[in-house]
Amino acid sequence: MLSIVLMFVAAIYFPGIIVKSKAMFSGRQGPGILQPWRDILRLLRKGNVFSTASSYVFQLSSSIYLTATLAALLFIPFLDQAPLISFTGDFVLFAYLLALGRFAIVASALDVSSGFEGMGANREVLYGLLIEPAFFILMGSLAMFTGHTSFASIFQELHYTSYFSAMIGFIAAFIFSQITLVETSRLPVDDPLTHLELTMVHEVMVLDHSGIDLGIIKAANNLKFSIFGMLSANCIIPRTFGLWEEILFYLVLQAGFAVGIGFIESFRARNKMAMNPQFILSVSAIASILIFVVMIINNNL
Amino acid sequence: MNAIIFKVAFVLSLGIFMVPNNAKQLFAFIVSLILGAASATWALQVLISGESMVINLGISFWKENPTLTIDSLSAFFILLIDFTCLTGMLYGWGYLKPYFQKKSAMTMSLHLFSFIWLQASMLQVVTMRDGISFLISWEMMSLSSFLLVIFEGEKEATLKTGIGYLIQMHVGFFFILGAFLTVFHETNQFSFDALHTYFLDHNNFGLFLLFFIGFGIKAGFVPLHGWLPHAHPAAPSHVSGVMSGIMIKMGIYGIIRVLLELQTEVYGIGLFIVAIGILTGITGILYAIFQHDIKKILAYSSIENIGIIGIGLGAFLLGKHLQRPELMALGLTGALFHVMNHSLYKSMLFYSAGNVYYATHTRDQNLLGGLIKKMPFTAMAFLVGSVAICAIPPFNGFLSEFLLYSGAFQNIGKASFSESLISIGIILGLVLIGGLSVFAFSKAFGLTFLGSRRYPEQSHPEEEVPLLMRIPSYMIITVMMLVAVFPVFFLTVAGKAAGTLNNSVLASVLADTGPALQSIGIVNCILIILFGVIYFLRNLRKPSVDIQVRPTWGCGYTAGDFRHQYTATSFNDSLRQLSDGVLMIDRKLEPLGEEEIFPKPHSFSTTTNDLIEENLVLRPVNFIIKELPRAGWAQTGYMHHYLLYPLLFLLIIGLLTFLNVF
Repeated sequence: MLSIVLMFVAAIYFPGIIVKSKAMFSGRQGPGILQPWRDILRLLRKGNVFSTASSYVFQLSSSIYLTATLAALLFIPFLDQAPLISFTGDFVLFAYLLALGRFAIVASALDVSSGFEGMGANREVLYGLLIEPAFFILMGSLAMFTGHTSFASIFQELHYTSYFSAMIGFIAAFIFSQITLVETSRLPVDDPLTHLELTMVHEVMVLDHSGIDLGIIKAANNLKFSIFGMLSANCIIPRTFGLWEEILFYLVLQAGFAVGIGFIESFRARNKMAMNPQFILSVSAIASILIFVVMIINNNL
Repeated sequence: MNAIIFKVAFVLSLGIFMVPNNAKQLFAFIVSLILGAASATWALQVLISGESMVINLGISFWKENPTLTIDSLSAFFILLIDFTCLTGMLYGWGYLKPYFQKKSAMTMSLHLFSFIWLQASMLQVVTMRDGISFLISWEMMSLSSFLLVIFEGEKEATLKTGIGYLIQMHVGFFFILGAFLTVFHETNQFSFDALHTYFLDHNNFGLFLLFFIGFGIKAGFVPLHGWLPHAHPAAPSHVSGVMSGIMIKMGIYGIIRVLLELQTEVYGIGLFIVAIGILTGITGILYAIFQHDIKKILAYSSIENIGIIGIGLGAFLLGKHLQRPELMALGLTGALFHVMNHSLYKSMLFYSAGNVYYATHTRDQNLLGGLIKKMPFTAMAFLVGSVAICAIPPFNGFLSEFLLYSGAFQNIGKASFSESLISIGIILGLVLIGGLSVFAFSKAFGLTFLGSRRYPEQSHPEEEVPLLMRIPSYMIITVMMLVAVFPVFFLTVAGKAAGTLNNSVLASVLADTGPALQSIGIVNCILIILFGVIYFLRNLRKPSVDIQVRPTWGCGYTAGDFRHQYTATSFNDSLRQLSDGVLMIDRKLEPLGEEEIFPKPHSFSTTTNDLIEENLVLRPVNFIIKELPRAGWAQTGYMHHYLLYPLLFLLIIGLLTFLNVF
């Protein structure tokens, strides 16, 4: 339960910090931390414009996306605090819930009969296809290292097994953060601020979503951020503190992560579109290195 | 008692030829229902009591008296056969109606007769143990399905496909026959029961390979899948639904029967099946993505699912060798669970594709689009099937793949290097297959049903199909939701079928997996309820909110039309670039001329060739066809030459015998 509250807290300030830090790096003052959520709340109150080509799939999609993301929240622990639902192999269900959300948005993009959105849908399924192996190899190596097969028990075990835990934890956190960049469409895979439809990935799929639908999708995206943020935090935060220090550590870590994303987005350009598959596959490559490291540690190699 | 009903149904099936046209369908349905009811009663009895049953049919043919032996594995398959044939029969009832005007009464009777005999022969295949009866039933199954495939035999392509199918089925048949003969030669028993004794003191791999090729052709393992992508689109949809839903699983049934008896070399055979399974899965779904014909997409995706089932079977053998109960129990149970799941959603997908063809008379994705507005129900059924086949919750497809994942992940923690590598291979195979199927089915659904029609001219009204053709999908969706919400019950059934519940170690693994599946069932409920709440809240807005319907955003260009949409070819393009080296897709493009200031119409086309089929079947066959005329000198046209040849043959044989060469 605590983990869900913490993820909601992070989801509230996380996007604001990214925006704020990007503004600061470019020498502007920038909007307040809560501005992204004020935008979302405004969207929820606004009217809708539906495409003449769209059907009931379009109407359902945003709700399915949010449902899938909220359901994915239920599996994520916070350090030793158990999540609401935990069972052996729960991370498989987690990955397929994200796929459910992806399927819903892709279907809605194909529903409006636009060339742009077909392009975005195609990129989204391709990147999803390429990033999933990284997640599974990573979870496989964590399972191998700890000997457990659920989020809760893996993260519980991760910091008690040996001194190697910290090293494994940091590599895992790095891979999680790379997966975050792909899953939530940030630089260098996708530039959320671009105004050219041809270079968009996620944004181009929601071009025809408006009002409450757009608001729901943006809210779900923010939640996705904090889900992966929590996963990275679980890998990094050591268990030498009390609960309150751990929560503080977590909040600072998330803020740091947000500033980091702001920093990256201020100082580097987006990949060429043709480079993206290579970039995403390299995440899987790093994950496979991790699996060999774990094998060496476990004396299996 | 039931045996008599069973026999009466056999005789009744002949009645189809006699009843008048308007009662044929009803009559066939009743006969199929009788067959189904009798066999399902046996199956349920066996599953509940847990003891196998032997039924003497009391028909004597071929010297001995064939008996039906039903154990829990047979019972599981019987239930699947009966349910799939029931929905197929119902769907065919609606689907065939227009054909009654076009075709002769004889053709229709023969078609319905073959359908009933397909069901009957499949029921016999899963219950008959002695080799002769099994092979006869197997042959009946091939023949009846052949007659079903060539229903539209007046089209040359369909007839050609049908004959290709018939030939490939017989190649498989001879492999199975050869395998049984090998066993007979060594043990003097012509039966599945003799496998145990044979495997105890002979090389296991060789005989297994014979069986695997024979059954694998039916199941569609790559590289033996050649008939599948052609026969499914050629057959009418209720037939392809049944063929893909359950008939190809007869191959899986045969393989399971054999591999349960294996004694030695289990590790090598297990690795072999896992490797073939991963190859089958990835090849199948990759080719599915590049098809434009919706039924061909579904056919290739059947190959993919056979691959997933193969991975489970291989995992079972590997677990047996490595003595890992979790890999063993979850592999076999997961494979059987997947057989059930696939028989549900794949038949529904084929029925929905049939609806599309029924309404639009085309199956080409590049000509379809926007059907959801005219056929909302069909679109919904196809969507549910697509989500389920991608193993996405909250539907049943996820559960069986979860079992396989779960087996592999549980093995990863405590295993040695090579074992971990196998587990990682299984996991990666499943992940890649999963990701690719999301690609394939978001395209299959999205481009067929969403957006707007890609080809504006249409000669006839496109509307939702009649209720009769929708009922089978309602039934299937109901069962799918039951599986999704009460997975533990179905796990127990699959576990019983796999026989894993008889072994206390394996049973404890399944008992440990129960809570996980229960949690997934709960999450599925949560998903449905949460979705309901969110969707309700979304629609709960003040009526003053401004809702407009406007054209799609065109970046300022207001004259956009249906031609601006993505087509099946353009949707694939990104993946084509990545997999170019593997797939060899032919692209024909007329480039713009240098001086062409006002471009004339240009054409662009892509064709995907099945590389394996091309290199393994077409190339050797073409070579033979090309080289055979060289032997033409022997064909002189004189009778006395032709009489000389057998004489020469006999002389050579005699000489060789005399010299004691044999």
